Amino acid sequence: MALILLPLVFSLVAWLVPSVQTRLFGLISTGLTLAWSIAAVCYFKASDHTVVDFGIRFVRFSIDSLGFTMILLTNAVFFLVFLSNFKSSITQEKRFTALALLMQFGLIGVFTTNTILGFYIFWELTLLPIFLILYWFGSFEKPRALLQFFLYTLLGSLAMLLAVIGLMHATNQQTYEGLLAADLSELGNTSIFLMGGFLLAFAVKIPLFPFHTWQAETYTKAPVAGTMLLSAIMLKMALFGLLKWVLPIFDGVATDFWRWPIISLGLIGVVYGAIIAIKQRDIKTLFAYASLSHLGLIAAALMLNDFDTNQIAVVQIVNHSIVSIGLFLAAGIIEQRLSTRNIDELGGIAKIAPRFAFWFAVLTFISLSVPFTAGFIGEFFLIKALFSAHAVTGFIASTTLVLGAVYMLRAYQAPMFGPTKVTGFEDLHWSELVVFAILSVAAIYFGLAPQCLTDFVAHSLTQPTH
Amino acid sequence: MAKDLTLLIILALPLLGFAINGIFGKNLPKTVVGGLATAMVFTAFLLATTLFSGLHGTQIVKLFNIIDFEQLCINASFQIDALSIWMTLIITGIGSLIHLFSMGYMSHDEGYHKFFTYLNLFIFSMLLLVLGSNYFVLFFGWEGVGMCSYLLISFHYNDAQKGLANSLAGRKAFIMNRIGDVGLLLALFMILGQFNTLEFLQIGKSVSENPALQGGAMFFITFCLFVAATGKSAQIPLFTWLPDAMAGPTPVSALIHAATMVTAGIYLTVRSNFLFELAPATKEIILYIGLATTLVAAFMAMRQNDIKKVLAYSTVSQLGLMFVALGFGAYTVALFHVTTHAFFKALLFLGSGSVIHGMHEEQDIRKMGGLSKLMPVTHLTFLIGTMAIAGIPFLSGFFSKDEIMAQALHHNTAVYAILVLAVTMTAIYMFRLYFLTFQGKFRGGEALKSKVHESGLSMTLPLIVLAVLSVLGGLLNLPGLFFKNTAHWFDHYLSHGTFGLSAVHNAHLDFNTSMILMAFASAIAIGVFIWAYLNYAKKGALAKEDDALSVWENLSAQKLYIDEIYHVVFVKPLLLFAGFTAKVLDIQILRNGVYAIADGILNTANLTRKWQSGFLSSYLFWMVFGLITFVAYYILKLSVWH
Repeated sequence: MALILLPLVFSLVAWLVPSVQTRLFGLISTGLTLAWSIAAVCYFKASDHTVVDFGIRFVRFSIDSLGFTMILLTNAVFFLVFLSNFKSSITQEKRFTALALLMQFGLIGVFTTNTILGFYIFWELTLLPIFLILYWFGSFEKPRALLQFFLYTLLGSLAMLLAVIGLMHATNQQTYEGLLAADLSELGNTSIFLMGGFLLAFAVKIPLFPFHTWQAETYTKAPVAGTMLLSAIMLKMALFGLLKWVLPIFDGVATDFWRWPIISLGLIGVVYGAIIAIKQRDIKTLFAYASLSHLGLIAAALMLNDFDTNQIAVVQIVNHSIVSIGLFLAAGIIEQRLSTRNIDELGGIAKIAPRFAFWFAVLTFISLSVPFTAGFIGEFFLIKALFSAHAVTGFIASTTLVLGAVYMLRAYQAPMFGPTKVTGFEDLHWSELVVFAILSVAAIYFGLAPQCLTDFVAHSLTQPTH
Repeated sequence: MAKDLTLLIILALPLLGFAINGIFGKNLPKTVVGGLATAMVFTAFLLATTLFSGLHGTQIVKLFNIIDFEQLCINASFQIDALSIWMTLIITGIGSLIHLFSMGYMSHDEGYHKFFTYLNLFIFSMLLLVLGSNYFVLFFGWEGVGMCSYLLISFHYNDAQKGLANSLAGRKAFIMNRIGDVGLLLALFMILGQFNTLEFLQIGKSVSENPALQGGAMFFITFCLFVAATGKSAQIPLFTWLPDAMAGPTPVSALIHAATMVTAGIYLTVRSNFLFELAPATKEIILYIGLATTLVAAFMAMRQNDIKKVLAYSTVSQLGLMFVALGFGAYTVALFHVTTHAFFKALLFLGSGSVIHGMHEEQDIRKMGGLSKLMPVTHLTFLIGTMAIAGIPFLSGFFSKDEIMAQALHHNTAVYAILVLAVTMTAIYMFRLYFLTFQGKFRGGEALKSKVHESGLSMTLPLIVLAVLSVLGGLLNLPGLFFKNTAHWFDHYLSHGTFGLSAVHNAHLDFNTSMILMAFASAIAIGVFIWAYLNYAKKGALAKEDDALSVWENLSAQKLYIDEIYHVVFVKPLLLFAGFTAKVLDIQILRNGVYAIADGILNTANLTRKWQSGFLSSYLFWMVFGLITFVAYYILKLSVWH
């Protein structure tokens, strides 16, 4: 329980902390939460299923190994976000710290709630803080882009809300176990519509093509900390929802109906995002489209709803969080030092900042899924799953190997190599260096021993019936 | 020492060197860094020789499970057999010589420790590639060497003039290799689908137990494997990265882009021989791709003026020759040429490195000449290398090439005729290179001439060792007409100790035909040597300037405009398409479409509410308010309802 409430308490306390200490407070509180969850995982057996019931309707939590993995990921991401932005002015802001911690609370709620309505409420709860963070700290010249993000998400949420209500109404169940046991086969086409509602919300959040148009602009204009939160953890809610709730509950007619449409959209995203990324000059926009490409692969593979593939998808989810924190941190470092993100104006940074050049290169290779990194395992098995579903889907998915190399190497080489066009680039601050190092160690660890993660989450993934 | 432990130590040593130099290298003296890296690889070589001498059958060494699912289990496991240990000997043996050479060559470089760190990482990845007992570990190494190749090609990215070009060359190599990797990936998936395992031995077993496995599936699997091979081993159409890869420091060209990594495609094919034997159509494709590559690349090498570019095209051409052998199913013959080629091509590259080092970074052979007196050791060893590759009798290249020619003559006379042409061209461009570099007058100016010096011992020693190997390498696999007892040692060694190869038999020509073949090959090589001597040394012919070239010569110098054609056919359209997608499809159609809808909604709202205030906060307020009301309503409703 403390695991769930800790960020909420910290979020409230954040308002009371004197301004000068805000920065330290954010770091320490997320650090404490992370330490707490790491300690808790030591006492947690993968087969455990802890239920926390507050005795109030809808407010019922349960933690299984998948939820725990996501909590650990959330806490790690928040800690790394605070650590990597330690030098940035944003962490000095009380409002940011409090909102981020509130969001952390919401995310943990999403990952642990045991009721479908709770899932919806916490899902919405995370939206408010990130929206305010973007509004207050982003560089949106026109409110339209931000509004687009908000409207889009709201539209998705609305669809999900209707689906949640419809599902509760149709099955007369609201807990996870109840819904899992409920037989949806008699619902027929209704179940297809209900699942569609969830999928629309997820498609906006992940995002899937063609619901991605909010993404590039939002990622680009958001403060780096906001972009990291969005891409490293917030959109994982949708993948989590798919994995934990939607696929097991709707296993059968509805999943079979949506399988190929979603796989197609995911794969279009893989190629589409990569192709657009090739042409981007703004390094942050480039990484945003790269993210579209990477996530399309995970979403497509998840729709196969295959037990082994789902486990690997978790590895890839973790890998994507690592990559997105790392790459957006690199983009943020460049932006903050040089006030430009345009790679045409950059060049030769490697010469002045060798330490940054090294770590940025490591992260570039991690995102290229080279051997010994989690992405190598993740990409291999996800594409393999898609290939065994159909050779053509596997082939389309595998183009990411080539296209990824095209845009990532450009994104790395243009600012770092070549004639020096910039001056006064300060090399890495210790806090940034620690973040890069932690990310790299994590990527290599899960690349060599993915089994520890897949075995852990396997306990809470249901074996599909088909 | 137990074999499995020895094997793991062989793998661990370069990894250890990588880790130590990577972490502490910056603060260690150069001799320690280079010495450590060299010692690691050399010790691995010594250990590999113990495995070689104690080789007995095939042994699998399992380290740990990478993935263990119900339907699929993939291990990090390794295989000790004739093929893997032979490759290990080449990699660590030549690898340690090149490490030693690099200690001298890179001594003035500020990235010294980084260089040795990458080099050790490369050796480790390459060992994974050849020692893995399944395709997954092979793929690990395969991708790993690609990454190291990228890092080492673009090593001098900070160079004031060539930095950008170097990094672009690295990128080109990486991307082209990745295209091949897609082939490998798909092949692996198909193998998994067919056999449900990636272990070589298990696949081999189910192939031999089920001879009905033929046709479509085998064709696609082997075809995709070959696509992968064309990427790594620089065959048509994916060969253009290799000449550009010469942007890397010369020891890298010797180690990665001549002796080891580029032969990975041949290793892959030999390793998968039992699959290729079931797909005659793929073998046919291999034969013709190899043949075309060897001819085209030899043609391109004829009029290159960069000493390294000549050798690069020569490498592509020689690799093509090996694929011709593979196309005939003569796996041991291909691997014999891999071995001798590793000797003399490493020697030639290191020799050119020594020349470049002595010439203070000059690579243009038009500015060289007469180096035989200034750099005697380099000169002599380079001459031996040139004679070996040109096929001068009784040197290593003579025997290994002769075997390929014999296969060609036995199977297909037309192929043999084309090979004769390619081999003649090889001799021509190699002797042209030799005479222009080492004979005649020095053309680089007096100022440079006074500074030219012979390289130090750490550079000349590897040259001498490799020169000896280039001379004697042929002894490994003498044809049957000499020394009956020891003849074809290498064929026996490989085919008895490697799965699948014992079932494959190379064609053997009768005594008379063999003699004629050898005499003819010798005549070509010696004839070209005499012609080159008369033309370059006696007549003093020089490399022509660009504007004096005939049409054919110009085509050779411009590499048949392949790069330009690729640019127009592939790169440009991709960029145009990307631009269209990014600007028109994504922004104008999709995003602005959404804007239009959003504006429409807001405008409707404007009529009824005071939205004109235009403040985002008021939008926000009303939306959150609406949302909360909405949620609260339903929560209440549902609560009542239950």
